[in-house]
Amino acid sequence: MAPLPTADLTTLHRADGSATYTHLSHTIIGSVNGPIEVQRRDELPSSATLEVNIRPAGGVGTPRERHLETLVHDTLRSVVLVEKIPRTLVQVTLQVRSLPEEESGGADSSTTASSLTLLPHLLHTSLLALLSASIPLRTTLTSTVVAIPRDGQGMLVSPTANELLRRRPMRSIHVFAFDGEGKLLLNESEGEFGVEEWDEACEMAEEVCCKGDGGVGLGEGMDVDGEGQAQSLEAWLRGVVGRKVEVEQRWRVAT
Amino acid sequence: MPREAEISVNERAFILQALQEDIRLDGRAFDAFRPLELSFGDEYGVADVQFGKTRVIARISVDVTAPLPERKFDGIFQIVTEFSPMASPAFEVGRPTDAEVILARILEKTIRRSNALDTESLCIIAGLKCFALRADVHIIDHDGGLIDASCVAVMAALQHFRRPDVIVEGEKATILSIREREPIPLSILHQPLCVTFSYFEEGEIFLVDANLAEEQVRQGEVIISMNKHGEICQVAKYGGATIDALALLNCTNVALQKVKEFSKTIQKRLEEDAKKRDAGGLMAELSAENAR
Repeated sequence: MAPLPTADLTTLHRADGSATYTHLSHTIIGSVNGPIEVQRRDELPSSATLEVNIRPAGGVGTPRERHLETLVHDTLRSVVLVEKIPRTLVQVTLQVRSLPEEESGGADSSTTASSLTLLPHLLHTSLLALLSASIPLRTTLTSTVVAIPRDGQGMLVSPTANELLRRRPMRSIHVFAFDGEGKLLLNESEGEFGVEEWDEACEMAEEVCCKGDGGVGLGEGMDVDGEGQAQSLEAWLRGVVGRKVEVEQRWRVAT
Repeated sequence: MPREAEISVNERAFILQALQEDIRLDGRAFDAFRPLELSFGDEYGVADVQFGKTRVIARISVDVTAPLPERKFDGIFQIVTEFSPMASPAFEVGRPTDAEVILARILEKTIRRSNALDTESLCIIAGLKCFALRADVHIIDHDGGLIDASCVAVMAALQHFRRPDVIVEGEKATILSIREREPIPLSILHQPLCVTFSYFEEGEIFLVDANLAEEQVRQGEVIISMNKHGEICQVAKYGGATIDALALLNCTNVALQKVKEFSKTIQKRLEEDAKKRDAGGLMAELSAENAR
């Protein structure tokens, strides 16, 4: 399984909350401003307005970014307690800082397997930034990519860009996001696949995201280079925030 | 989109009073910059510049297109500055603020129009193919001095960037990827950098590298772009109050000193980065660069 992401909370000075996130050579800087004043035309009487801006590493946003924005927006809407802060705006900005070498070749961007591979990173960054900004949340979320190669053998869970490039073309790519209770929050799939395959992919993603530390072994038929039982993303998230809280609460502990 | 929070009357009076007494809020001298921190990414052409709490990332990317019909022998070079709400909630995507327009214009004048980059070297086949270079300026954190920081970031990124090598056979051009052949640095003719002076009290007091609070209080600004040889590329003045010609002359002297310092820092960081990349000591052998 791929190594766990690294993340720092509150890396920026100006924004209300921010996070810098690095995973598999994707680096994303996320910032959250909110709750702030909302423009009249965007104001919702009974809930907060969420605004998601995704900015690519190079160039201005394309329909690809707009599509990702919609997906992130809809997912975050069910995570943020929007009813608690009605008539306000929560602004989420996600700046892609660097991409793996395989994906950043500007001229031949055909190497980019799919826009979906970026989605889990964006979701994690935005959640961390929201936590850093102390926006009321209903739950946390974890997300991962599962790619099924053409021969259907050996599903890849959160593959590196290199793996994707080498096993190209992929038959299907799935992104799953789970909330803190392990319920499915988002499912976005691309390509050809059957119900059984989807079930299997979903189960694998769930294992990576939510289980792991409970001693539940990884399923057979999953080709992972035996790195031992890795931590689940859920536990990783807890760790990142826990460390930050510890640092911030130093002054209390010291006295 | 909320408006930028305006500075309060008390704060304004406080800053001005302090300046009268030769004190800046952060204790710097009037002609002192915040420490410049510059780092490069793992890829070529990414520069991360920090002046105190201001942080700007510039990123260079390259593409192959047809040159403009009226400029057949030139490549295309474009600087894109788009503010995002990350720097301040007052920035809205797709609706440029005045600060953004001024930044874009100054960078255009300083870097593009002063021919800092030799665009002719970006031409592959005259009239048919050329490299289109674009510099994206991302404002990550905003605490004043955006113009100076962006200019340093773009110039550092340009010097750090390497473009892929090409083989031209008649009308056919082959772009060699980074794996096939060591990429080539851009041909940079000179390094213009900007120094912004904020003036107060009808041009009596000049500050270098004002932070956001000082920027909101100032009467106007003078932006001087020059290279380390003291050649001025552009002078721009925004804001109402008049300034004395002699004071302006004095500003250019200060600017020259600052530009020299920055150039030295950029050079030092570039050398450090080159050393880091040149792990096996093979770079000199691999390089396909021709001496100018």
